[in-house]
Amino acid sequence: MDSLTLDVIVRSISEVGGTVAFIVVGSIILELVLFLIFKVILKSPHTLPIMLLGPAAFGMIVLIIYPLLWELNLSFTNMSLRRFGDKAQYTWIACQAKPENINFWLTDCLFKNYADVFRLPVLKQVYFFPVFFRTVLWTFINMVFHLVGGMIFAILLNQPIRGRGIYRTFLILPWAIPQVIAVLAWRGEFHFEYGFVNLILVRLGLEQINWMTDPFWNFTAMCIVNIWLGIPFMMVILLGGLQSISSDYYEAAEIDGASGLQQFTNITIPLLRPVMTPAIVLGTIWTFNNFNVPFFINQFELETSDILVTALFRAAFQYNRYGFSAAFAFIIFIILLLYSIFYIWISDGLKEVYE
Amino acid sequence: MRKKILILSVLLLAVMMVAAQCGGGEAPTPEKEAPAPAAEEKTEEKAPAEEEKAEEAAPAAEEMTITVWTKEGEADGGLPFLQSIADAYTAENPNVTFEIVNKDVEVLREDFQTAALAGNSPDLLFTVSDHAGPFTIAELIQPVEGLADLGQYVDSAVAAVKLDGKIWGVPASNGNHLMLLYNKDLVPEPPANTDELIAMAADLKGQDIIPLVFNQTEPFWMVPWLGGFGGSVFADDGVTPTLNTPEMAATLQFMHDIKFAEELIPAESDYDGSDTLFKEGKAAMIINGDWSVGGYTDTLGDKLGIARIPQVSATGNWPAPYTAGTFFLFPAELSGAKLDTAKDFVGFVTNEENQVKMVEELNRLPALKVALDDPAVTENDLLKGSADQMVVGVPMPTALEMRCNWDSMKPELLAILSDTKTPEDAAAAMQTAADNCLLTLE
Repeated sequence: MDSLTLDVIVRSISEVGGTVAFIVVGSIILELVLFLIFKVILKSPHTLPIMLLGPAAFGMIVLIIYPLLWELNLSFTNMSLRRFGDKAQYTWIACQAKPENINFWLTDCLFKNYADVFRLPVLKQVYFFPVFFRTVLWTFINMVFHLVGGMIFAILLNQPIRGRGIYRTFLILPWAIPQVIAVLAWRGEFHFEYGFVNLILVRLGLEQINWMTDPFWNFTAMCIVNIWLGIPFMMVILLGGLQSISSDYYEAAEIDGASGLQQFTNITIPLLRPVMTPAIVLGTIWTFNNFNVPFFINQFELETSDILVTALFRAAFQYNRYGFSAAFAFIIFIILLLYSIFYIWISDGLKEVYE
Repeated sequence: MRKKILILSVLLLAVMMVAAQCGGGEAPTPEKEAPAPAAEEKTEEKAPAEEEKAEEAAPAAEEMTITVWTKEGEADGGLPFLQSIADAYTAENPNVTFEIVNKDVEVLREDFQTAALAGNSPDLLFTVSDHAGPFTIAELIQPVEGLADLGQYVDSAVAAVKLDGKIWGVPASNGNHLMLLYNKDLVPEPPANTDELIAMAADLKGQDIIPLVFNQTEPFWMVPWLGGFGGSVFADDGVTPTLNTPEMAATLQFMHDIKFAEELIPAESDYDGSDTLFKEGKAAMIINGDWSVGGYTDTLGDKLGIARIPQVSATGNWPAPYTAGTFFLFPAELSGAKLDTAKDFVGFVTNEENQVKMVEELNRLPALKVALDDPAVTENDLLKGSADQMVVGVPMPTALEMRCNWDSMKPELLAILSDTKTPEDAAAAMQTAADNCLLTLE
């Protein structure tokens, strides 16, 4: 292995130097173009903000909008291993015969991949809806435990207890470990022969559990790991929210004779809502889309443990159903978009942010 | 003013839509399709001269790093071996360095397809033959007729990567087949058939020894038993899946029985778990490939024995593991000086000296014909056992349709081993999944 000599440092910098130089020069050119268009040609009074936003907007277009459009295009195509990649041999799915009615047109031509998501197995055996409902169950279980666990720890840490800083550090630790590393470590602990979970069970005189082959226990193992990983995030958010609530409210409530539960439901929860709403929306989306935990804990690739995103990965990269997977990805995107809009609308959670 | 901005926005959106369509566009561009055949023609012209030059100095003097993706692992000794050969090549050709990356077999396939899609392929692959199927269909690798003198390699190894009349890989070892490896301290004589296997299991379990381990997560370890029960994954045409058969149901029933009725195998066991149990002497026998022999020799020494996977008593047939080997595959986009260097490196790895070294260090059957006559091969007892297993093996199918079989068998095998399906239902589900999969290949 090379030691860290000047030569190695220079070589390393030169490897990324080209990219950095490209970004810098590109940004300068972009700014000049924006200046020319908006200041010189259009004589816009908003030239400065446009120039300030320009590079970020360009980055968003290149890194988010363009891939989305590319994927949307892909979802209408018949791309597979036989029609692969930049060989550009794949095309939009054409109607084999003259469409007899709109239904046929929707399900067997351009939108065939979207229809296939619902009418064919998304993996080898399982169909979309069982995977979808499993994903909802997975999200629900995790969010309940994240929220309840996070709230309990946040309330405890909000009390004037000795060694609060140390507890806080330990409780945040799962969040600080890179997720893949933590998940792989946990997977080792669910090993039938050598994992500590089964070793403890044996010491307690209980039966070992088939964490990897039994569908129920494999799903349980996924939940255990994700709950362990997710509580610190919720705890930190809620603790921040709790600390922002003035103690005056509680003192006033106590004078009025409110019980602890009444204070919690009538003061803590309402005042935490602006913090909780985005945390729940984000947490739900992250859990719904959590790839690392279900994918790596499910080492034996049980279809009964796959959630939508892991099924999507397998469809695309293990089973090479590229056009199908693009449509599948868009359907997941639409589900999450509708959920987010619905939740924000029903909870009025962002009202105070707007006001 | 607003109108102008609106026009600009519409123009920008239109450009993006056009770009998106071009990215996955329809018309094949000659420039993009050219590299593979061009490289083939160029190298074919040069081939005779290169055969004479054999293993002389590297053809290119410019500084370069060759990235090799391999399925060879650390524990089996394959990765350190390949690294040592690469280091030896670098010692002779200081301008060439290597970055050797280990990936699990299936991960290597998936990652290579993804990397090729992104135009970021490695320079060389060192992997199994059945990857050639999907890679050739997707035009991700180039034929090797012009890149090596294929006549010097064992015919069966070369035939393992022959598709559509072309050869797609340079063989480095012959075999890559499963066999029974046993710990002589725990099992003095290997079981000849499944009845003996079951009979000796009671004694071993009494000593708190697991009788048999293997990777329960991959159907590659199930297919030999299918052969033992007289089945095959394909009809005679080599592309039509035949998974819903009485033979498959019998195989699945057998897999179920050795786990739940006879308790021959552990409740759960993946590749690494099986490997560790055998190396630690907690398991008496393991079914594993020839790639693992080197690692077990290091751990068990003379205690290691190799034999055929026990004959299926119910049918009198020997289990038939798939045979092929390990191969160097050249990505389609590889050309110019890097292609020349990669070609030279492959010639270096598969020269007689390094093939004999592979036999000595890894106990694998060489792919080079002249190396087969070396005493390191002819006087090696472990290789005799490995070769004896190969006799009853069958060539690994490389057709793309085999991917459908692998992917369809896997979840059903897991269902059987988790006792959640009957063998008949699992066999039927395999067939349905494979048939559906074939439709997606169109």
